[in-house]
Amino acid sequence: MGCCYSSESETTEQDVNERKPLIDPNQDRKPTNGMERNTDSLPSNRTDEQALLTVILQRTAQNIIDVSAVDSQGMEQHEYMDRARQYSTKLEVLSRTLSQKKPVPLPSLTSQPHQVLAADLVPFTDVQQVSKIAAYAYSAISQIKVDAKEELVVQFAIP
Amino acid sequence: EGALEQYLDDTMKNPSIVGVLCTDAQGHNLGCRGSLSDEHGGVVSVLARQAASLTKDPTDSPTVCLESDCGNILVRTHGTITVAVHKMAS
Repeated sequence: MGCCYSSESETTEQDVNERKPLIDPNQDRKPTNGMERNTDSLPSNRTDEQALLTVILQRTAQNIIDVSAVDSQGMEQHEYMDRARQYSTKLEVLSRTLSQKKPVPLPSLTSQPHQVLAADLVPFTDVQQVSKIAAYAYSAISQIKVDAKEELVVQFAIP
Repeated sequence: EGALEQYLDDTMKNPSIVGVLCTDAQGHNLGCRGSLSDEHGGVVSVLARQAASLTKDPTDSPTVCLESDCGNILVRTHGTITVAVHKMAS
C-alpha cells in the first residue's frame, strides 16, 4: 500500500535496517532458480566482466524477496514481538512526518444552490431560440468554402 | 466565413444574450463572442456529446442548460457543430 511503496524511494539508514532480509543471503540454501548454481560453476580466474556480472547478480539476489523460500528460519516468540514493536514505532514516526495533501476544491457555479434550483425553469422560448441559433449557425458554417484566387500549382519558366 | 461572423454579431445584438460560442465536434472553436471564449470550447462540445449519449434516438438533439445566478448557458448540437449561448435571465 502507500506506506510500503514510499519506503522504496527513500533508502535511509533506518529503512535499510527494515529491509534487511530475514534470511541471510550468504547462507547455502536450495535456490528456486538456477542462477546461484551457475555462479559456482564459473572458472576461478574471473575477468572484469564476469566480476561485474556477479556483482549485479548478487545485488539482484539480495533485493529479491523470495516468498517461496524453502527453509525459512523460524523465529522465537519474543523476537517476533520485538520486531513487531520495532516496526510499529517506525511506522508511527513515518506517519507523523508524512504531509497531508489537501484535495483541490472543485470550482462551484453558484454560492446559493437553493435559490438557483428554486428559480423558474429555463423558458421554452429560450430553448427554441437557441435551437434556431444553432440551425442558422450550422447553415452559415456550411457556407464557408475555399475561395480559389490563383493557381496553386505553377510551372516554373526555366530559360 | 463572413456569413457566420455576421450571424454571431446579429445574435449578440439581443440584449439578454451576453455570450455565444460555436465549436465543432472536437471542441475546436469556430467563432465566439462575449462571455464565452476559446477555453470553453472543449467543455461545451464534450457536455453536448455526453448529453446526446443519454438518449437512444439519434435525431433527438438535447439542449443542455447550465443554470446559475448569473444567467443560463444553453448548449445545443446541430449536425456537426455545437452552439452555446450564455443568456441572462430576463
